[in-house]
Amino acid sequence: MRAVVVYKWSRNAADALVRADGSIDWRNAKMSPGEDDPAALAAALRLIRGGDDELVGLTIGDGDASWALARGVASTWSVEDLPALADNGSTAAVLAAAVRRIGGVDVVVIGDSRQEPGVAAAVAGRLAWSVVLGAQTVEAVDGRLHVTRRVADVRQTVVVPTPAVIGIAAESDLDRAPGMKELLAARKRPVNRIGLADLGVTAGDVQTLGCRRPETAPARVFAGDPAQSAAQFVSALRAEGVL
Amino acid sequence: MDSWVFITADGWSGALEAPRALGGRVVAVVVGPRELAEGVAAAGPDEVRWVEPKPGVPPEAFSLPLADVVAAAAPAVLVAGADPAARALLGAAAAALEVPLLPGAVGLAVEDGHLRVRRALAGGQTIETCAPGGGVAVIYAGEDAPAATRPEATIEVLGLTCSPLAIGASEPVGQASGLSDAERVVSFGRGVRAREDVAIVQALADACGAELACSMPIADDLGWLDKSRYVGRSGNHIAPALYLAVGIAGAPQHLEGVRGARIVAAINNDPDARIFQSADYGIVGDLYEVVPALVAEIDKLDK
Repeated sequence: MRAVVVYKWSRNAADALVRADGSIDWRNAKMSPGEDDPAALAAALRLIRGGDDELVGLTIGDGDASWALARGVASTWSVEDLPALADNGSTAAVLAAAVRRIGGVDVVVIGDSRQEPGVAAAVAGRLAWSVVLGAQTVEAVDGRLHVTRRVADVRQTVVVPTPAVIGIAAESDLDRAPGMKELLAARKRPVNRIGLADLGVTAGDVQTLGCRRPETAPARVFAGDPAQSAAQFVSALRAEGVL
Repeated sequence: MDSWVFITADGWSGALEAPRALGGRVVAVVVGPRELAEGVAAAGPDEVRWVEPKPGVPPEAFSLPLADVVAAAAPAVLVAGADPAARALLGAAAAALEVPLLPGAVGLAVEDGHLRVRRALAGGQTIETCAPGGGVAVIYAGEDAPAATRPEATIEVLGLTCSPLAIGASEPVGQASGLSDAERVVSFGRGVRAREDVAIVQALADACGAELACSMPIADDLGWLDKSRYVGRSGNHIAPALYLAVGIAGAPQHLEGVRGARIVAAINNDPDARIFQSADYGIVGDLYEVVPALVAEIDKLDK
């Protein structure tokens, strides 16, 4: 089983600055591990049972590629000149090209991001592989993947042939920080740095015409004296008819 | 400008209505049970194309064969909601047409003959207008739409050969806590510092006539409440009239469990806590002071 785990492939929207007029400044929002990346990595590591099994990392952007290397991945690839794109399809096309370049891949494990929910699906589309999204775990059984996920009030196991893309949705946002020994070991692990030209792809994006603040009212938040805040809060909930 | 909307589960009304603004034909592609297709047809799209999976076959098994159908028809706009299976169908179709795929869409429009997509960014703090420059696929993230009064569509059956994906096992997730049909739910997180302090939040739940719930770490890591009582992506998905979050930061995984709540209210000592981005009402303050004050205020209502 040769698996690829895709990590650190989008900007953290929480770091973007939204100005009063609704325009958005992304300068402080760097490529960073997504909220589902730790869960995707944990699921991918469980797929590797020794022998010929191999887990390869794949990331994009020119930042530090060692996040996965410090958490148990032996080697990684980085598409260094791919910027953060609005178009999930374009991001996915580059990731799919990189997966082809890595070669011999049976499964791609990637966070099924709430922020960029089209990427995992579009990677599968570009590769013309099977896909299961919203997954919690993935296990290799007799050459097939057993993927668990929740559908309404049912926990379901989906049996998927390889090659496949599995989008992992984290159940919690807890990451395990690596120790100093792991961080030092990560520096010695290989990073294959490539560019769009090496993959023979371009990364177009859609045109942005501008941003504006939404018309919906922001939350009414009370602060100050607890008794006074409580009175205002209860009054507001009574007016809504929910208390 | 024709649109195809992929539907695999309930919660499709907004995605089906959004492309109406484009003025073209709206074709619903339903992969699921007959009741789902009939419900969609009753909402009055121009066409319903229905794929009925055999028992034990997930909707994703049709993503690649459906992409071939989409490529032949080449609609200008593809739409799906947040449902994982619908997104799987959309991803394959968008790749087949090689069109941009934009998440977070809250509206579609034609302006001066050009397609425009409005999408929510930065947690909904701003709305961006995009010009895709041709066809586009979007993941709809806007409001549900009210029931339309249009003629019911006829249902055309699409016979497709599926990929060999199969549902191997299904088991119900424990839901015996009474949360699922509660009118009010008071929930707490790591802001509560000690197990004995749960009584403070329980008193608030009692005063409100609410069920008590918690975030995942409280049940899973600390064991302060039974696992049947945690709310979130892997726990309870609830839709009370009031969801009151006490000392909960508001991780996306938690908020996914309360998407259906009518009013979300929060108490947190951090004014920048993520929960306030999703809440309708909030109090910034120390829960150890605010919660007793709330109980006292609610008690006054009964006198």
